[in-house]
Amino acid sequence: MLDVDMTAKGFEKIVTPESRLDVIAHDLMFGEGPVWNKRTGEFYWVDIIGDTIWKWKPGGARSVVVRPSYRADGLTFDLEGRLVVAGWSWRRVWRLEHDNTITTLCSEFEGQKLNSPNDIVVKSDGSIWFTDPSGGLNNVEMHGDDVQRYMDYHGVFRISPDGKTTTLVVKDLTYPNGLAFTHDEKQLYINDTRENNIRVWDVNADGTLSNKRMFCELKGPEAGVADGMKVDVDGNVYCTGPAGIHVHDKNGKMLGRILVPGHTTNLGFGDEDWKSLFITTYSSVFRVRLGVAGLPVW
Amino acid sequence: MTWKFELVYGPNGRALGGLAWDGKSMLVSDAMDLKILSFTEGAKEPAVFRKWTNRVNGIAFGPGGVLYGCQEGSRRVIEMKPDGSSVVTTTVLDGAQYNHPYNATIDKKGRVWFSDRLHAVLASGPQVFPYLPHQSVLRMTLMGRPHTEWHVERLTYDTKSPRGVAVSPDEKTLYVAETDTVPGGVQELRAYPILADGTLGPCTVLHSFGADYRGVHRGIDGICVGKDGHIFACAGWSRSGPGATVYVFNPDGRIAESHAIPEGTPLNCAFGGADLSTLYVTTREGHVYRTKTGYTGHLLYKAA
Repeated sequence: MLDVDMTAKGFEKIVTPESRLDVIAHDLMFGEGPVWNKRTGEFYWVDIIGDTIWKWKPGGARSVVVRPSYRADGLTFDLEGRLVVAGWSWRRVWRLEHDNTITTLCSEFEGQKLNSPNDIVVKSDGSIWFTDPSGGLNNVEMHGDDVQRYMDYHGVFRISPDGKTTTLVVKDLTYPNGLAFTHDEKQLYINDTRENNIRVWDVNADGTLSNKRMFCELKGPEAGVADGMKVDVDGNVYCTGPAGIHVHDKNGKMLGRILVPGHTTNLGFGDEDWKSLFITTYSSVFRVRLGVAGLPVW
Repeated sequence: MTWKFELVYGPNGRALGGLAWDGKSMLVSDAMDLKILSFTEGAKEPAVFRKWTNRVNGIAFGPGGVLYGCQEGSRRVIEMKPDGSSVVTTTVLDGAQYNHPYNATIDKKGRVWFSDRLHAVLASGPQVFPYLPHQSVLRMTLMGRPHTEWHVERLTYDTKSPRGVAVSPDEKTLYVAETDTVPGGVQELRAYPILADGTLGPCTVLHSFGADYRGVHRGIDGICVGKDGHIFACAGWSRSGPGATVYVFNPDGRIAESHAIPEGTPLNCAFGGADLSTLYVTTREGHVYRTKTGYTGHLLYKAA
């Protein structure tokens, strides 16, 4: 049985008596970027300090996808099944093409280099949304070629479906990190690592955001901060926080916490039925089977 | 001569640390505000020389006008380039991460000597890298052909809390302010002979600070040298001892002069001005003072 606490009614549907932590990897320096590739049935993640993008097929061995990965961080797939990467200390968003070449999608905004793209999500129209805090420039042993920060803000950006235009959609967060759409894509959650909370916006048809409001705070005396975040088919929001993963329902009510050994960095749903939750920590990747499926990744 | 300290700036409430004369202006690190300020004579306000430094403290110009910075918040030494970009030079000694590089000086060979200390404020990012089991003076030397690889050496094996570092104009001596302000801590101005093989011989103590019932007499933090070999040192505080003072030591350790600063706890100093005879002094409370001294600073490098 999985360790949980602060549970409310409804959590038993998510974490079942059969739920337990399986260890997928345990030798990482800084695990991040968990994402499931539905086309190949493989799980992808990164080791930022270990400078590698990894993949693993259940029942098989893991293998290197890209190394060096230029400190790659958040991962997702686009509508064509290409890996899209929040490049962190490489200061760009890039795409791994099917022929394994790399295409830079965005590296600057209004003439300034990006800070360090951290997490990333693709909307059903093909637009790419990413957060851009500056940690990749400052964190010990995560540096890239240029560690100077130029922007006076930590933005959230949207790359248009045709890839031609990048727009700044949020400019006023302290340290935006994880981001996730609701199932109907009418709302976008963005969390803030320094403030340890999640805010939610309405997503407008023109790709802008409005009606910013607080969704929830991530409470607890334990170590752990708002980092990775995903949503399940019932609208529940899963976010890293003190002690592990905090699950809130769509109204922001706390349903419970999944206690994870180590410092949790991110999470992603996977397996064919999307009912496995893959969890990255500094050192490890875990998998836990849940009673509810997550929203699929393209 | 009498020193007349002129308050140039502050106090701004934050410790102001590293200084470097760029040839026209004095650069001063405002580490906790993530900035380097630039003070030009005649200007009413400092200009911002660099933003988002992630706590660069000690700064020093090197060959080609490269500005090196001890980046406490990232546990590394960086190179701040004239085009505005910044590049990491080194982060590890024998495979283990630095503590928090603090103060640096550059010699005629372009070698970067720096003190590497613990700091109460944690560095950025996950705390996954342990500290070194010692706090020492380290040195980076550009090696190889072409000269692109930094070789890092540990130089002191008897320091617990090294702060200011300076190399004598004849490059035969390394001065280290070894200042551990805990009760019973060593507070010394030390002179290490630089041997022919580049290592250090046993140090002599040029000056030592004591304690009484009011507590330790605060020893030296920042130091710099003059072209005639004098050592200029920031020490003292109001709670014990003779008070906040800038000392001028002869190379043999004799105190040539000492000057009380008007207010605050002196932290670091450097020479600037057109004739290099103006000493700039910073404090823990965030003052920047300057005074004419009758001495001339020892300046090897400035901005390109």
